[in-house]
Amino acid sequence: MTAAPPSNRPKINDNDTELIEAINSGQTEKFSELVRRYEQKLYNFGRRMCGDAADAEDLVQDTFLNVFRYLKDFRHETKFKNWLYRVAASTCIKKRRRSKFAPERELSLEEFVSGEEPGAAAQVPDWAQIPLEKLLNEELVQTLHQAILSLPEQYRMVVVLRDMEGFSTEETAQIMNISSTNVKVRLHRARLFLREKLKGYFAHGL
Amino acid sequence: MACDNPEHRHCLELFEKLSEYIDQELESETHRHVEAHVAECLACSACLQTLKQTIALCRQAGERSVPAAFSRKLHAVLQSTTKPPLP
Repeated sequence: MTAAPPSNRPKINDNDTELIEAINSGQTEKFSELVRRYEQKLYNFGRRMCGDAADAEDLVQDTFLNVFRYLKDFRHETKFKNWLYRVAASTCIKKRRRSKFAPERELSLEEFVSGEEPGAAAQVPDWAQIPLEKLLNEELVQTLHQAILSLPEQYRMVVVLRDMEGFSTEETAQIMNISSTNVKVRLHRARLFLREKLKGYFAHGL
Repeated sequence: MACDNPEHRHCLELFEKLSEYIDQELESETHRHVEAHVAECLACSACLQTLKQTIALCRQAGERSVPAAFSRKLHAVLQSTTKPPLP
């Protein structure tokens, strides 16, 4: 992460602006307040991306260390939260690159359409009609988390940011430094992948 | 994905757009087109409902609390790193 060149983009003020300006003006003891505001969000992002608690903790710590190192370069051109996730995403990708050398698997749309022959699913399955509060239980949440972890990383990050962390398509594109079109393509495939896993779970109780 | 059945081809074309349809990111004409098709095609309607439920489950999957021991360690590490150097 190098120093950003000056730009003419308007400055975005959010709930964190005052705190960041205080930290950047030398009140570094206030950094712990910034950590308090986001440690839970980042910890959950880490758990969703890494699965393992220890890896998630490393990700949170490395992200905050990077945030402190580069906070003076933050130009308030986006919400602080989005910039924070950009640092976290970049930290996460670097960590994975260090630990894994296998090329990422691509998901193709074709692998999800085989079960979509016309008439093949002529009725909406029960699990898609049950209210969420009746459907959700610990076992299902675990199944979903395992399914998310089995997604190739580039798809996992998109679905985590969009459908779990609540970022918009444009924000996700900014955080991951990819185009909005690419976000949409990856998101659709990731969702279809998860849907297949859930279909399997509800059909076989796996 | 070769297919001679025009109905099936139509379903597959719309299959690609279902996420954008759910997210209200399609142009209004395409949105109406998908809406009309889903209203008539049971297979696509089932596909749409299962996809919607998948997304809803992701959104409601909940958050874990940060383990207290990790939070203490994190604040201690960051405090020692961010402390300004002594004059």
